[in-house]
Amino acid sequence: MYAPLQTVDHSALKVNQTGIVATVLVAFVGSIFFRPLWALIPLLAIVLLAGTFNPRLALFKQLYFKVLKPRGIVKPRPVLDRPEPHNFAQGLGGVFLAVSTVLLYAATPTYGVVAAATGPALALLVAVLAFVNLAFGYCLGCQIYFQLGKRGLIRA
Amino acid sequence: MTVQLWALAMAGTVVLAAAVLETWRSARARRRALLATAAPASQPYILYFTGDGCTVCRTHQEPALQRLGDVRIDKVDAVADRTLADRFQVYTLPTTVVMSAEGKALHVNYGYAPAPKLQQQLAEARGNLRAAATA
Repeated sequence: MYAPLQTVDHSALKVNQTGIVATVLVAFVGSIFFRPLWALIPLLAIVLLAGTFNPRLALFKQLYFKVLKPRGIVKPRPVLDRPEPHNFAQGLGGVFLAVSTVLLYAATPTYGVVAAATGPALALLVAVLAFVNLAFGYCLGCQIYFQLGKRGLIRA
Repeated sequence: MTVQLWALAMAGTVVLAAAVLETWRSARARRRALLATAAPASQPYILYFTGDGCTVCRTHQEPALQRLGDVRIDKVDAVADRTLADRFQVYTLPTTVVMSAEGKALHVNYGYAPAPKLQQQLAEARGNLRAAATA
């Protein structure tokens, strides 16, 4: 019924989450001084969505596998696991950032400050959830994956 | 700057609302699950709800359960055995339920439950069993 368990390097996931948190924070704080830094949000959305469908395009994971791991900067932490819930969570983050991007560029000042803040708020929430996963190991996307599987909507 | 402050306030409100909702949902699920029953046994035991995609189950919950020693642990796949999972209101994985010997749910833990917490709950369950036996 299930796909067999694989060895998933959780250090790669942690580096990915760190990358998400750092990028959103740079965009959020940096845009106070330099507004074009908001462009990091659509770039991050592309990175996350591309990495979901093709792991070779997952920028932060590639950074881990090609640079951080070989140089011993980050130690590997292999765990017998399924990669699907983590990929699903990453994809969900990418979708939220894509929506954030649309709101970020569609909401002109004429719509009011609250409308203009919705896009950045959504990006901030993605960063908060990535941080919660990084710090406490709670993966909301994985829980949603479980709920969808329980309801037979996906093969969990 | 104003946009960033508003965004911060909005995200903060959502996080706060989610925390309140989660507390309420967990309390409601626990209240309902405590009315549920399962098979009786000679000693208190643990129903352990897990799933193939649950990482915390493998990395944290299972080592904690192994530390409990000689306790019967009924492992349940929450996706495959949906009826039982629904009966105990399992909305997150892992979920552990400390069952009395009569098959009544005594303690329900949604999310990772460390070994000392489970040991304490099992000790209470055994105390109840002894009290019932001497009464």
